Amino acid sequence: MTTLDVQHLTRQFISTHYPAVNDISLQLEDGEILALVGPSGCGKTTTLRLIAGLEHPDSGLICLNGKTLASDVEFIPPERRGIGLVFQDHALFPHLTVYENIAFGLYRQKPSAVRGTVSEMLRLVDMEMLANRYPYELSGGERQRVALARALAPRPLLLLLDEPFSSLDADLRVEVREQVRGILKSMHTSVIFVTHDQEEALYMGDRLAVFQHGRMEQIGTPEQIFHSPATRFVAEFIGASDFLPGLPVSGGFQTEVGLLSQTVPVNGSKSVEVALRADDVDFELSDSGNAIIVERFFRGPANLYRLRLDSGQVLHAIKDHTVIIPVGERARVYITARHPLMVFQ
Amino acid sequence: MQLTKSSRLTLPRRSLTRTNPRLIFAAGTVAAFVAIPLIYIFVRAAEADLAAWERLLQARLWLLMGNTLTLVLAVTAGALLTGTGMAWLTERTDLPGRKVFRWMLALPLAIPPYIGAIVHLTLLRPRGGLIPLALEALFGRPVPLPAPVGFWGATFVLTLFTFPYVYLLAGAAFRSLHANLEEASRTLGRTPWQTFWGVTLPAMQPGLMAGTLLVALDILAEYGTVALLRYETFSSAIFIQLSGRYDRSAASILSGVLVCIAVFFLWLELRFRGRARFTQMESSWRPAPLTLLGYWRLPALLTVLLVVSASLLVPLAALLTWSIQALQDSQTLTGAFRTGSQGFGNYVWNSLWTATLAAAIAVLLSLPIAIYSVRHAGRSSLIISRLCQVGYAIPGVVIALSLVMLINRGLPFLYATSFVIVIAYVLRHMPQAVRSSESAFHQLSPAIEDAARTLGRTPLQTFFQVTLRLILPGLLAGGALVFLTSLKELPATLLLRPAGFDTLAVRAWIWATDGYYLQAAPAALLLVLAAILPLSFLLRREKVFR
Repeated sequence: MTTLDVQHLTRQFISTHYPAVNDISLQLEDGEILALVGPSGCGKTTTLRLIAGLEHPDSGLICLNGKTLASDVEFIPPERRGIGLVFQDHALFPHLTVYENIAFGLYRQKPSAVRGTVSEMLRLVDMEMLANRYPYELSGGERQRVALARALAPRPLLLLLDEPFSSLDADLRVEVREQVRGILKSMHTSVIFVTHDQEEALYMGDRLAVFQHGRMEQIGTPEQIFHSPATRFVAEFIGASDFLPGLPVSGGFQTEVGLLSQTVPVNGSKSVEVALRADDVDFELSDSGNAIIVERFFRGPANLYRLRLDSGQVLHAIKDHTVIIPVGERARVYITARHPLMVFQ
Repeated sequence: MQLTKSSRLTLPRRSLTRTNPRLIFAAGTVAAFVAIPLIYIFVRAAEADLAAWERLLQARLWLLMGNTLTLVLAVTAGALLTGTGMAWLTERTDLPGRKVFRWMLALPLAIPPYIGAIVHLTLLRPRGGLIPLALEALFGRPVPLPAPVGFWGATFVLTLFTFPYVYLLAGAAFRSLHANLEEASRTLGRTPWQTFWGVTLPAMQPGLMAGTLLVALDILAEYGTVALLRYETFSSAIFIQLSGRYDRSAASILSGVLVCIAVFFLWLELRFRGRARFTQMESSWRPAPLTLLGYWRLPALLTVLLVVSASLLVPLAALLTWSIQALQDSQTLTGAFRTGSQGFGNYVWNSLWTATLAAAIAVLLSLPIAIYSVRHAGRSSLIISRLCQVGYAIPGVVIALSLVMLINRGLPFLYATSFVIVIAYVLRHMPQAVRSSESAFHQLSPAIEDAARTLGRTPLQTFFQVTLRLILPGLLAGGALVFLTSLKELPATLLLRPAGFDTLAVRAWIWATDGYYLQAAPAALLLVLAAILPLSFLLRREKVFR
């Protein structure tokens, strides 16, 4: 069942040239986690704030469970939307304890019901021992969990998370996001969350929506997005593709590193770009090769090599972490991918 | 340029996109209320006939301008030197008793300069001053001493009681300055002395300039001290025109010129204040190492003691002694406890209720301004916020003149009521409330308010349950500041008060100008003590004063 329906949402700030949010349409299924991902300033946070009711759309429609929240004639204020929001900096009320923060959204309920819900939430985020602390007495991870509990306590129809892990340290981030995903799935909450971190999006999202310049470039499952990026930008942003020029010939594309035998319908004989990720490319040392090894980055489980083809084109390739090849050697580069590659014109 | 700057401000701080028209209306009304007296002065100055302009231009205007500007220059230089020097000694060196001196160097703000002038005049007057008399008795002949009158007297007294403005801002700048900055300069081959002049002082410059310009605005507005010490400036000349000769046309012209000068200083101050924000602390801040004074400890200590004595200890001790002497006199004693409009209780009550009411109104009026200018930052909200700063540039005498003329014309039912005094206080001290409220809102992340909205609160509920709770300390600070300065206000109170309406400031002043210095002491002492309370509340907001 569709929880959220967004149609042609647009929001333009006076000061910018293009709309911050430009004709966005998306649907969210019940219990689904959707990740909005894109570089900073791409409009993902504005989209989130439009859905929450903290911004007015210039045009477009937002419906939640069949009820119109925003349209050209209607605007339901945030307090009457039943949408929870976890803020980037958590925005915990500094004058209230953990307990009071979580109870803040429950003020219309009976005291006994409030007590029950708050202790349930405290248990859920494992903060029972710290209920009487004030926000400034908490660590970053604890604040994050309180913010989540506070947003979940009123049982929102939809939960929004705005870069929820960006204020945490790198090692804590992985741990907390696993906890959060577990909690959200156990409560079967519909969630939209915003991140600029592709790895986080791939991990957290049932589906991903990739944003750039206020437009939604592609929406789909992590696998769809990774395997068949709809645009050059998506291929570049998710999985860091390099783009190798190629010419359509019979039976495939002729590139600098050899013939790519793959038939994709293309327009005429204009040159194309083949998206190559580091795992699609390999090389061996060869004095008569077509490239030079420019740099090696040790990534722990793997070595990432940067290669410069004789044309100046840069490609990346990964090898096992034990394979250490000196920088500056010549190499022969070739494509090893056993799956179809994306070709952009 | 201006457009891109303000539009960049629009993006991050706004919480809800559409500004409530009622908020704009409220903010605009307050701004208009504050700006009307200023505009009216210019209108009246422009309306004045050419003959009046010519008369003034021929004789008085240039003299007054020279007098006023040289005094401003001398006092600001003195305050800058004293304030920065004292701040360096208490913040950056191992001066003994730094913690106590920090307080003693800030507290002169509780003493109105005219009270300080009364004390120093009583002590040092060439004929009949207590110190010359004592010296004459001691040596059997008159000993020539510099008299605290005229230009140098006014410079001396005003420097002593205004340098804490610079001292407080310079102290804060010394504390917030990143130690890394000075260390970087040292590693790049500069000596400590070169570092101080080349790095530390330039980095503090915006804060120092802002403090200095506040002193300059205060001097432009000062009436009591210059009148008592017989040095004529714009403010005292306008006062005489208003109270004695009653020439409103001439007074309007002088006021127009004075306000022009003041607006220029205010414009400079706002520019420097904007830049001072960039020197704020970062998370990696740590205090700079203290300079060890070594052999200089004793001279440094004596210098600080001298400043503290002249600006705080001697005035307090003198007022206390004279109060005790005055109360031993039976006539004064009965006067002190007399009830009704002539009793001490009445003066205290009048001082307190006018200042409290002014503080409450100013803080209340500052709220729409602060919400509009901080939460909906843009060009129009900036203009409105700046309009509310003009109170700084309208000296008390000018406010009085403007109100007298406005009330005669439009609101005659307010004429000669004590409420007019409250209006004058609000107009004059509004900027302090606006600044405090604005900085309170700046410190409150809009996300906190957004969070309350997504948790089911209406805008009004959000304001009362979340916003107000969190900005209350800032609002109280603004209120305390308005209360403090209203308590000390003299010229507008003198000119606007209904007959028989006396405050502590008015009483102390009238007795002192009539030559009853002893009788003035209890009122002055009470005034200072009442002012110390809000001042210490304000100082305690900074960690080092706890």
